[in-house]
Amino acid sequence: MSLLEFEHVEKTYEEEDVLRDVSFAMDRGDVEVIVGPSGAGKSTLLRCVNRLTEIDGGRIVLDGDPIHDLDVNDLRRRVGMVFQDFNLFSHRTARGNITLGLEEVLELDHETAVERADAHLDQVGLSDQVDSYPAELSGGQKQRVGIARALAMEPELMLFDEPTSALDPELVGEVLDVMADLAAEGMTMLSVTHEMGFARSAADTLTVLEDGQIVERGRPEQLFETPENDRTAEFLGRLTDLEQ
Amino acid sequence: MFPIVLQTGDWAFVAANWEWLVLGTAVTVLLTASSLLVGLLAGFPAGAIEAYGSGRLRGAVDTAGVVLRGTPIVVLIVLFYYGLPIPSLGSIPLLDVRLSAFVAATLALGLRSGAYQSQVFRGAIQSIDDGQMEAARSVGLTRIQAIRHVILPQAIRRSIPGFQNEFTIVLKDTSVAFAIGLAELLTRAENLYLQPGRDSAMFEIILAISVIYFVLTFTTNRTLDYLGDVYAIPEGTES
Repeated sequence: MSLLEFEHVEKTYEEEDVLRDVSFAMDRGDVEVIVGPSGAGKSTLLRCVNRLTEIDGGRIVLDGDPIHDLDVNDLRRRVGMVFQDFNLFSHRTARGNITLGLEEVLELDHETAVERADAHLDQVGLSDQVDSYPAELSGGQKQRVGIARALAMEPELMLFDEPTSALDPELVGEVLDVMADLAAEGMTMLSVTHEMGFARSAADTLTVLEDGQIVERGRPEQLFETPENDRTAEFLGRLTDLEQ
Repeated sequence: MFPIVLQTGDWAFVAANWEWLVLGTAVTVLLTASSLLVGLLAGFPAGAIEAYGSGRLRGAVDTAGVVLRGTPIVVLIVLFYYGLPIPSLGSIPLLDVRLSAFVAATLALGLRSGAYQSQVFRGAIQSIDDGQMEAARSVGLTRIQAIRHVILPQAIRRSIPGFQNEFTIVLKDTSVAFAIGLAELLTRAENLYLQPGRDSAMFEIILAISVIYFVLTFTTNRTLDYLGDVYAIPEGTES
């Protein structure tokens, strides 16, 4: 059974179709990268999974459970999300950012929560920054805290919404390294990113989205080398040029 | 003009009555404290209702705020003193303050301050980036948990400069209780220079209480600045 299934998902904002008949499925351990021009509906697609945005048609199924049958906070506990702008809680330390969910949502006692938070900060290479406040961290460090915060909830699926787009170029690598490690460890990941290097090396599936529709979907090397759709070739070509 | 007005004899009169003015200062400080407390208790929930509430409750809070902010404080105090059915509660010993006047002044100054504090607090809540709420909800916190653990702690810190401002304003505006004869600092000053033959000391007395008001506002502001620094948390640009 698939871990995540989109079945004919529709989303409309003010009479404009943002997602049109989007269907695809991901298995446990899959790493899927979504690309597409701005306004294609990529972020909306991610936000529908944890119901930050509600869909207007079709359904989304997480490990056999239609997400609308789940308690929304239960759903969010099972799905981790990493934001473009990090969205770290600015009044809490790196550790405090992580323990909040552990203590309030998972109801772990304080010591267990701190232990788990520190372990996840260590996992993203920040064991020396546990007591730092977000304002004291670089962008790359902030995003790694953001990833650790989501991971600590032990989600079944991780969503990444352009996790490196707000970073200075020299800080992108440290975040992609963490993501590649996660992918290698078997985490199921649905990621919107324009990092084609990451898509080529870490993704199992690459999806091109345009005007709310899937243009093409397949293995990254196939889309890069023998795309079926002209739009795919054009779009991926442009992204790859940008990186060089 | 000053050398003519400022006379040694008048200064001696001020000095001889220092205890009288100290009692007035005590009343001023007490009235400031009680009014700010009322202001905080009213303003904090009112600000939260204006930020998050809807329907009639929010409408009522909005209207009360507009009325309180739109009425001169002297008018409010007189209105509360003569208009509210406050029982005659006797007076506070030593300070010689009628409790009913004290209650009316506290309510007027406090509720008006609450109307301003609610704006400070509402603005602080609304200044918190939407991403904070989204991130909190995304780890599975309920809306209430997110408000309590993520939004409010940040909003309260951002409100501190505004609250500090209110502190100074309320402290100075306690002098308006003069209008209902409450024995705070200004009223007591008037008591002194209205004594027969003491009108020449008016300028010295007013000057003396000006200094007292200034010392009070200056020291409390410095203390609050210091406390603000002690409890400050590194807060960078929103990202």
